[in-house]
Amino acid sequence: MKISDVIVIGGGLAGLMAASVAASRKQSVTVLTYGSGSLPLASGTIDFFNAENPEVAIKNLPETHPYAKIGAKALDASAKFLCDVAAQANLPYHGRISAQIPVVTAVGTLKYSALVPESMDASKLAGKKKIFVVEISGLKDFYASMIVDNLKKYFPAKQFETAKIDLRFLGGRDITCMDAAQLLTDNEQPLANELKALNAGGDDAIILPPIFGVMGNFSRSAVQTQVKAEIFETTCLPPSPAGMRLQRAFMKYLQSNGVKFFENSKVVRGVVEGKKVTGVVVENVVREKTFRAHKIILATGGFYSGGIQMREFDNPKEMIFDLPVFFPTGAENWSNQQLFENKPQGFSMTGILTDENLRPVDANGKVLFDNLHVVGANLGGCDKIFERSLGGIAISSAYKAATV
Amino acid sequence: MSDKTQAIFTGDRCLSCTSCMANCPVMAAVKEYRGPKLVGPAHNRMHFSQEDIEESLNYCSNCKSCDRACPSGVAVSTLNMLQRAEYYKKHEHLRSEDMLAHGERMAKMIRMMPFGATFSNIGMSIGKALGVFSALGLAGERNMPAYASTPFKDLHKKIKQPSADKKIVMFTGCYINDNEPQVGEAFVKVMNANGYEVLIDEGFNCCGSPLVVTGFLDEARQHADNNVKRILDWKRKGIPVVTPCTSCSLMLKEEYHELFGEHEMHEAAENVYDAFEFLEILQERGQFNDKFKSLNQKLLYHVPCHLKSQAIGLPAQDILEEAGAKVQLADAGCCGISGNYGFRKDKYEISMKIGAKLFERVKQNDFDKVISDCGTCRMQIHHGTNIKPVHPIEVLAKAY
Repeated sequence: MKISDVIVIGGGLAGLMAASVAASRKQSVTVLTYGSGSLPLASGTIDFFNAENPEVAIKNLPETHPYAKIGAKALDASAKFLCDVAAQANLPYHGRISAQIPVVTAVGTLKYSALVPESMDASKLAGKKKIFVVEISGLKDFYASMIVDNLKKYFPAKQFETAKIDLRFLGGRDITCMDAAQLLTDNEQPLANELKALNAGGDDAIILPPIFGVMGNFSRSAVQTQVKAEIFETTCLPPSPAGMRLQRAFMKYLQSNGVKFFENSKVVRGVVEGKKVTGVVVENVVREKTFRAHKIILATGGFYSGGIQMREFDNPKEMIFDLPVFFPTGAENWSNQQLFENKPQGFSMTGILTDENLRPVDANGKVLFDNLHVVGANLGGCDKIFERSLGGIAISSAYKAATV
Repeated sequence: MSDKTQAIFTGDRCLSCTSCMANCPVMAAVKEYRGPKLVGPAHNRMHFSQEDIEESLNYCSNCKSCDRACPSGVAVSTLNMLQRAEYYKKHEHLRSEDMLAHGERMAKMIRMMPFGATFSNIGMSIGKALGVFSALGLAGERNMPAYASTPFKDLHKKIKQPSADKKIVMFTGCYINDNEPQVGEAFVKVMNANGYEVLIDEGFNCCGSPLVVTGFLDEARQHADNNVKRILDWKRKGIPVVTPCTSCSLMLKEEYHELFGEHEMHEAAENVYDAFEFLEILQERGQFNDKFKSLNQKLLYHVPCHLKSQAIGLPAQDILEEAGAKVQLADAGCCGISGNYGFRKDKYEISMKIGAKLFERVKQNDFDKVISDCGTCRMQIHHGTNIKPVHPIEVLAKAY
C-alpha cells in the first residue's frame, strides 16, 4: 500500500483546512474521518479572539496559549488561505483577523466575527434606510417579528417592515433553512419575484434566513442582480447552509487536488517506531487496516468531538495515541457554576500541549513524536469558547501543522 | 469491536445534531421524506403502538449516507429497515416489492425452464412495451436486467483452473451470477493469477439485501442463518469467503449483525472479504502478483455507497494505479438506484434526481472506461448516461 506524505485524522474545520493546505503544497494527503465533521452545524463564520483589537490581544497572550505556538505568520496566512479556498468555490468571504464584522443572528441580535461570508456581512446595515425582514411560509425557526424586535434595540431610529412570502414550500415535511436552500437552487426566480414585489429601494436592506443554496454564492447572485435592496442572510439552527457551503468549498478543493478522503474510518491507534508515527490503524466492523504516512495531523476535535474523552473523573484520555492531556486538577477548578458569567470554564481548557511546531509534549515539555502534529479543538490550555477562538485556532493551527 | 453493535442499541446515542440530514441524498431530492434523524432514531424511540406508523419511512433508500455522517455511531439506516419490517407486519406488500425482493427465486424458476433466460428476456421487453412494468408498480422507464444465458455458477464448472493449495470461496451475489457472469470470470482469472483456486458454494442464498430493504425481514433472517452457518463451515476449514459485490459484502460483514445481533454473525463476518480488500491484504503480506501487463487506461471510478461504508479505503484504485491505469474518482455522490429502490415506479424520479450529478460527470466522457464495484450502480450509470461501466476486477483481469 502506498505511503502518503500526510494523513489527517478528522474532517472538521481543522482537518479540512490541514488537508487543503498540505495538498496545496503538492503533498499526497489522506483524510480519515468518522462522522461528517462540525461544519454543517456551524455558522460558517470564523472568529479569532474576542477583544477590542484581536490582533494586539493575541500578541499579548502567554506563551502557553496555542496562538503563541502558532505565531502571527501562520495566523495571517491561514485567514488568507481559507478565503482563497472559499473564493474558488464562488463563496466570497470578507474580513481579516482583527475585523469585527456584524452578522444578524437567527433571533435578530448582532454577533461580530472576523471572517464572514459576503452574504452575511451586515456591515452596511447601519447605513440602510429601511430594513425588510422576510419570513417564508412553511420555513420553521425563522420569526421576522422577533428579529425586528431585537434589531430595533441596535437601530432604534430605523424603519422596519416584516413580510411573509409564499414559495410553495408547504406540503411534505416541515422545511428547514437547509431544505429551502436545496429547493431554491436553480429555482431562484419565484423568490426574486416576491422580493421585487416588496418595492424595496437601493437604500434599503432585506434580511432573509440563509436559503441561498448549499454550494457557493450562485443562488444569491441570481436573486441579488434583480433586486435593488441589498440582501443579507442570517445565521440559523443546524443544519446550516452557510456551514455546508464552506464544507463543500473545502471538499471541492480536496477533490481537485487529489486528496483521498475516507469516511466512516475510525482511527483507533497509531503505529509507532520510537519517536516516529509510521501509520495509523482504522478499525472497521470486522478487521483493521493500517494507513501509512510520513506525517500525521491529529484533528479529532478534542473534548467536544470524542478526540479526548473522560470516562473517569480527573483522567481525560486522548483516544488514539494516548497523549498526555492537560486539564485543571481539582473538582473546584473544573467548572464555573455561573455558566453565563464573564469567566472561562476550567473543563474547557482541557487538551494537549505542544511545542512551537504543534508536536505533543509531556509534562516536562519534551516532544513525544517528531512527526505528529496536534491541531484544532484538541489543543489545550485555553477556553476556546469563552475566547471565541475555536475557529481561528482550528484554521491557523491546521495551517501551521501542514506547513512545518 | 467496541462500538459496533446491534442497531437497536445505537438509537439512544443520537444527539439530534442533524449531520445525517445534511448528508441525506433522498432529503435533498424530495420533500416528502422527513429524514434519517426523525424517521430513524427519533421515531424508533418514540413510537409506542403498532398503529403509530411513520409513512415517510418508505422513502429511505438504505444508501447509508446517514450512518457515515453520524459522529456518534448510530446505525440510522438499519433502524429504518427494522421499522420498515415492523410496518409490513401489518401491511400488505405491493406486487412490485415482492418481485424486487425475490430476484433470486425468480431467476431459479426461470432457469428451470428450457431456454428460460431467453424467453424471459424477450418477455421482459414485450412486457415493458405493453406497460406491464408500470401496472406492476415497477419503473417503466427502466430495463430489467437481462438474464445471462448461463448463470455463473454453471459457467464456473467449465473454467479450467490451475489446481492450488490455497483456496477461496466466491460469494457471487445474485447480479453477477444471473446477469453479469463475465465479472465472475474476471474474478476467477485474477484469483488464479494470485495462486488461489476459486470454489463456489451452491448452498449460499442471496445475501438478503433486497429482502431487507423491502421489509421481508423474516426471510432475510433465514438467508442470514443459512449463509452464516456456511461461512462458519468455510472458516473452520481455513477458507475465506470473498465477494466482488459491495452490497453483498456489506450485508455479510456488517448488516447481519446490525439487524439481528447474533454473535456468530460477527464471527462469520471475520471470514468475509470484499474482492479488492482481499487482494490488498495479499499485497500487504507480499503475496500479491504484480507482474502486470501495463494498463494504459484512464478510468473514472464511481465509488459505491456500500463500499464507502466498509472503511477499507479504496484498494481497487490503488491496485489499478499500480497496474498502470489512471484512476480518477467521479466524486459525485450516490448514484440514486440503491439496490432495488430506483426500480420502484414511485421512486424512479427520485433515484434519477439523486444520480443527476454523477450522470453529468460521466457524460463528460474524458476517460476510457467507467468502473464501479456495485452491480446496481453500474446499471444506474448505464441507464442515466448510455455509457456501460465495468467492475474494476474486469479491468484488472486484463492486466494478467
